[in-house]
Amino acid sequence: MKPILECQGLTKKYNNFYALSNLNLTLDRGQIIGLLGPNGSGKTTLIKLINGLLTPTDGRVMINSLAPGAETKKLVSYLPERSYLNDHMRVEEILSYFVDFYDNFDLERARKMLHDLEIDTNSRLRTLSKGTKEKVQLVLVMSRDAELYILDEPIGGVDPAARDYILRTILTNYNENATILLSTHLITDIENVLDRVLFIQNGQLSLNASVDEIRTKEGKSVDALFREVFRC
Amino acid sequence: MLGKLIKYDLKYGAKLFIILHALLLLASILGRIFFLEKIDFNADSNTLLTSLGLFISIYLLLFTAVCFGVMLLLAIRFYKNLFTDEGYLTWTLPATPNQQLWAKIISGTIWYAIDIMLYSLCLVILVTGKNVTTAFAKIAPEVTESLGMPLSRYSLYMLIFLLISCIGSVIMIYSCVAIGQLFPGHRVLCSVIAYIIISTVIQIFTFIIMAVLGIFPNGHNYVVGTSGNVGHYLITVFKASGALFLITTAIEYAATHYIMNKKVNLI
Repeated sequence: MKPILECQGLTKKYNNFYALSNLNLTLDRGQIIGLLGPNGSGKTTLIKLINGLLTPTDGRVMINSLAPGAETKKLVSYLPERSYLNDHMRVEEILSYFVDFYDNFDLERARKMLHDLEIDTNSRLRTLSKGTKEKVQLVLVMSRDAELYILDEPIGGVDPAARDYILRTILTNYNENATILLSTHLITDIENVLDRVLFIQNGQLSLNASVDEIRTKEGKSVDALFREVFRC
Repeated sequence: MLGKLIKYDLKYGAKLFIILHALLLLASILGRIFFLEKIDFNADSNTLLTSLGLFISIYLLLFTAVCFGVMLLLAIRFYKNLFTDEGYLTWTLPATPNQQLWAKIISGTIWYAIDIMLYSLCLVILVTGKNVTTAFAKIAPEVTESLGMPLSRYSLYMLIFLLISCIGSVIMIYSCVAIGQLFPGHRVLCSVIAYIIISTVIQIFTFIIMAVLGIFPNGHNYVVGTSGNVGHYLITVFKASGALFLITTAIEYAATHYIMNKKVNLI
């Protein structure tokens, strides 16, 4: 089976600053992968390149052996770290929008999750709190039957109770052949659900290991290792 | 996919578009009832000119404001939808950059065409009252002779020309916004500068072409006041500016297409 993601010599330069530098990476299917690194390390740049929101300066990124484009966007379900929905729309309208554009969007699943989270689908987005908007976005993203889910800081702005629900949602709503690439600073919250972690530092991959390997070889948790590697 | 994109593009900002034109229609109806139907065309010419001048100025200002509003709406829709946070959704839809661009061009052209049709409707509302048509009937033969054709036919040519030019106007707006995106620190400012530069360049080329063809008013090819010359002159100007419009639109489209395919960098 083709790897879901391949990066070869991937480089992104802003003026004289290398946000990513010659990054090589291959991700197989059926894993939950933590993309970890300090602020400005290049996590979001990598995520944007995978989604075709940035043009690489050099190298290439392939999703299911395809360059980012209309075909890969059918396979990738992406949650950015910011609110990307038009504030004037009602939740119901946004659901219709996703139904219209994504063949793999499961409307019933979305409605159930919104109901569980007590979000009124007739509300306009601008009337919702920041945390509730984040929940709506996550529900939309996780209601797609995608092959690669890319979640950029999915739990940063929500309360711990909702955080638990969201993590459960992530775990219960993806099929076993799908891959989740999850970027976050809240390592302890997600450590138990991760299969693999990627440490990214100064635009380069400094670690690509399974969580079990880290625990066995390093004898410590991912969170402890992160604090050690990225000590200020 | 293109159809779905167009559907959502047409919905985006539609309320403001409707409000702007509803106000214009209302102003036209009020202008006809309370001014044009009441004005005495047999009055002293100074009084008539003053009041008509004021009326025309106000309505020109109103039409220009709505036209500017529509242009702004199109620019904002293109910018917000593709290059701000909303772009994170737009660019991750399973659509190609060309589909995104054409959806914006088609929906923008539809808006612009509706806009022009509504301007025409407003003009028709303003000038088709009995008071104005009776007064115009007295000078109609003179106008027809000067234009070389009846005013109605001439207006129809104008309308067709404006409708054809819609697509060019829309692409020009988009190209300016797209060029602005190449300067991440000053996107809006650079879009405005791009608009000023492109407009100036087009003006200069129009001037050069008119000079080369000798089609300035009172230039060696046309003398205003001669029978049928005004209409012929204007039609010639339309043809020349239409050709220039076609060339500049093709260049602007190529630039926008390139930026949307190769230079998208959302920050």
